[in-house]
Amino acid sequence: MAGSKTEATVKARADLALNDEFLRKAVRFTTERLRNGKKKATDEHGNWEEWRERGKQIRLHTIAHLDYYLNLFVNNARANGVHVHFANNAEEAVGLTLDIAEHANAKSVVKSKSMVSEELHLNHALESINVEAVETDLGEYIIQLAGEMPSHIVIPAIHKNRYQIADLLSKEAGYTLPPDTTALAGFVRKKLREKFLEAEIGMTGCNFAIAETGSMVLFENEGNARMVSTVPKTQITLMGMERIIPSWSDLEVMATLLPRSATGQKLTMYMSGITGPRRDKDADGPDEMHIIIIDNGRSLQLGDPEFQELLNCIRCGACLNACPVYRHIGGHAYGSTYSGPIGAVLTPSLNKNIAEWDDIANASSLCGACYEACPVKIPLHDMLVYLRRRKVESGNGSKIEAIGMQGFATVMGNSSRLGGVLRLGKLGQKLVVRSGVIKTKLGPLKGWNTYRVTPSLPKESFRDRWDTLDQELKQGLKQMEPSMQNRMEELVRKREQDEKQGKGGHGHG
Amino acid sequence: MADTHKQWLEKLEANSRTKQEQFMNDIAAKLRHPRMYEKPQHPFRGAPDFWNTFEWTEEERIKGFTENFLSVGGHVARLQTMEDAKAYIVNKAEEMSAKYVVRQNEPELAALDLEGSLAESQVSVWNTDADQYWRARAAEADFGIVMADHAVAYTGSVTVLSSPEKGRSVSLLPTVLIIIIPLERLKTRLGEVLVTFDEAGREKLPAGIHFISGPSRSSDIENDLTIGVHGPGIVYALLVG
Repeated sequence: MAGSKTEATVKARADLALNDEFLRKAVRFTTERLRNGKKKATDEHGNWEEWRERGKQIRLHTIAHLDYYLNLFVNNARANGVHVHFANNAEEAVGLTLDIAEHANAKSVVKSKSMVSEELHLNHALESINVEAVETDLGEYIIQLAGEMPSHIVIPAIHKNRYQIADLLSKEAGYTLPPDTTALAGFVRKKLREKFLEAEIGMTGCNFAIAETGSMVLFENEGNARMVSTVPKTQITLMGMERIIPSWSDLEVMATLLPRSATGQKLTMYMSGITGPRRDKDADGPDEMHIIIIDNGRSLQLGDPEFQELLNCIRCGACLNACPVYRHIGGHAYGSTYSGPIGAVLTPSLNKNIAEWDDIANASSLCGACYEACPVKIPLHDMLVYLRRRKVESGNGSKIEAIGMQGFATVMGNSSRLGGVLRLGKLGQKLVVRSGVIKTKLGPLKGWNTYRVTPSLPKESFRDRWDTLDQELKQGLKQMEPSMQNRMEELVRKREQDEKQGKGGHGHG
Repeated sequence: MADTHKQWLEKLEANSRTKQEQFMNDIAAKLRHPRMYEKPQHPFRGAPDFWNTFEWTEEERIKGFTENFLSVGGHVARLQTMEDAKAYIVNKAEEMSAKYVVRQNEPELAALDLEGSLAESQVSVWNTDADQYWRARAAEADFGIVMADHAVAYTGSVTVLSSPEKGRSVSLLPTVLIIIIPLERLKTRLGEVLVTFDEAGREKLPAGIHFISGPSRSSDIENDLTIGVHGPGIVYALLVG
């Protein structure tokens, strides 16, 4: 169910994105801003490698003992008065949510940002039982009005400009709003205030869950996650089963890594630790609190040496901002909930459907920038290679690519064959070379030449010149400058003398 | 609906407990170890050692907190006494013509006698009347006034804990938030505050622990910074002592 695709392939979706000049500029600008922010924040904090290593170790340790820590969390959360539920897949999670919504007689649900909820396509399900689902994160609210998917994990409406946003919000308001950020945000504040106060259910995601006390932790800047967990009578939290950390002390490491990596902040404006529903005598907070723990493909990574580290991900989005491919094609081209390098690996892994999602793993240059950016050091670029290998092994590789590789092997395996092919190429290219380059978009060069030009084969190739070069090199070595030759002979004589006098051989001392 | 709400919750819990066992057994099987019931050795708990010895002097803490809080659009005032804090608040309330003020029900705040000093404003004290819908009282307030339970200089953050006397809404719903920070509660590192929750243990934790590091903000529209999206847009941190 996760990830209903629009266009058939990443390439088709990327072509759409590449044609959208505004989207490209917006994505480039935003990712640049976030990337620079991260760099500044990590430089200023210092010892970043030690922090990354510590973050990785804490995540590795927790996932390696997940049965212990998750069980501990569940027991503690229950002792706090939370109703904990388990969902093996999206259908079960949706079923539980709808059941809770019906028993709460809910007419509306206010939601703060949750990637898991995107995974479940929950809003449609709620609408099917006539419950209004309202996204309250400013960016999520905008794309919900537009009926679109988030294009960036941290800034979901990165692809919309303020004129488009003013149009959308004006429709909602029933009067014309100016394309001015403050005015637009002001309208949303007022509009959503009403929603917070009238909704029966508040719904959140979960950044971290603390096993030892059964608490859940939310990072945010707007205050809407606090709203949905403070004002409505019922709170539902959707939590990926891997969100666990052992203790509040470990939270310091996550709080050091996550905001700096996501937006370059020292800490998000709000970090909330929620331990159970409203206490009897408290005058706010939810009366009833549910946490739904969701597998939905996550446990498939457990025990898989190549992919288990995927579960270490803290959803900061730093790999998106670092990725040259993401920066060019934007989030929508990935066609799934999670985009960028993490999405390219996570989506096929969660779906255990390598055949269908194969093209996403190919939307990567394997440059390793994602690994460098990752605050918990997930080797995403290696995983992309593993995915490609599994795809080929499972017989889902590209047939043309396989034939091409075979041909390459045949030609390269024999030097006279290669020579022959190059001579043929030089002859053949006379038909297509214009001013020293090939611009034709015919045949096999179409893909490459759409965005760049192919250089022509030179009149004389390196291979052609090899015999001459070889000669020249051998000559050069013979003709050593006389002064240099004298110096070297002098050195050899001295060493021989030293050895005779027993002064140690070729040591460095 | 044949079943009562309570019966329905009980049914859900029974399902959940059965499923919990399956869930954990499945995880253990996939990790290829027997179910773990003993607490494992966790050699990497918390921040790296070099960090845990890092500490600023009081002057550095004040400077660090102030710089961080200002850099995100908050306001900071350095005051000597609670009397000064009172004067500051009264002055601000008059300057901004605050009509509704809500404050936490804490002795330090009661001692300020804002109720008697703010003639033009209606001051309500959190959760002092069981018949009030207190969330709405906080939502309509121009000013929310709270005491900080802790503060962290390195990140420029204030911690507020919930209780019957201390509403989560008071630091969230009003337009303007005023936080009084007694200087002795200002620590250097986040970890100094977080570790107190480990030490307290599950049963002693409040329902809400909130770290606030400035005014509510968003950059969701064209990367343009907007202040006061959902939470308070104007936040004063008063360092007292």
